[in-house]
Amino acid sequence: MARVAFVAHCLLNQNAKVDGGARCPGVYSPLVDVLRERGFEIEQMPCPELAFTGLNRFWAVREQLDTLAYRRHCDRIASAVAGAIEARVARGDEVVLVGLEGSPSMGVRITSSDPERGGRPEWPDGAPELTTGSGILIEALLAELARRGVPAPRAGGVTHVLPGHDAGVERAGLVAVLEG
Amino acid sequence: MEGDERGFRIAIVASELVNPEADGLDALAILGAAGWGVIQLPAAWYPDDVAAPLLEQVAEEVDEFARHGYDIVRVGDRAGLAEALARLGVDDPPAITPASGGELSAFLAARPAPPPR
Repeated sequence: MARVAFVAHCLLNQNAKVDGGARCPGVYSPLVDVLRERGFEIEQMPCPELAFTGLNRFWAVREQLDTLAYRRHCDRIASAVAGAIEARVARGDEVVLVGLEGSPSMGVRITSSDPERGGRPEWPDGAPELTTGSGILIEALLAELARRGVPAPRAGGVTHVLPGHDAGVERAGLVAVLEG
Repeated sequence: MEGDERGFRIAIVASELVNPEADGLDALAILGAAGWGVIQLPAAWYPDDVAAPLLEQVAEEVDEFARHGYDIVRVGDRAGLAEALARLGVDDPPAITPASGGELSAFLAARPAPPPR
């Protein structure tokens, strides 16, 4: 039996981030380090925002992405990822999810929300858009796994985009998810 | 891209080189240290019906990066990738199936530096 972490795309490829969001050139090594220390293989999930709204997208909150078309796009990705998770679970692998807290798509416990946001992008830095909840793709993935009868994996997120990010706290949170 | 640390360099990587055996080539470590991002290919053991939709997503991502002039290479391969790229009219990038870490490092070092942005 293998231990496998399905991780948000940008954690192996910071080039997928919205402009201004990349925290390192490519691979977010603090996550890779903690996964490998604990014997986890890595599986990278697709980035829903990259393919749908592209590299020139603006920063966005959930409400801006939460359209029928975007949900269909996320459902397509969720089906693809759920197929891989189902194949892993069928052979007895231990699966966890690692998302990106604060993301409108990949947040696990923290997403971003502002029902008023829209129009010309002039909102101030520090606008209080972070809120409790999951991103749209994570929601779609958990729903697809439930539909297939696959138990929901343990899940947590990298926090490096959140204000007050603390690398030690992030690591402790990841270890808690990985070790259950 | 003020304050943005992206490297503008991306490697499409075989899953077995992201998750190597104990004595295998660790491409993820080499690429990470060299400042490359990674797009991981589906594991070779996945059946076609599992791998195909994942490869479709890989192809769409590669198309977006290629359209914006990012440097893209392929490290290792996966059955079905060439067809997925071809369906979108995306060229297969320069590629290597490295026999050693040194060979991979030399291949990466020989790539042109990304243009200033």
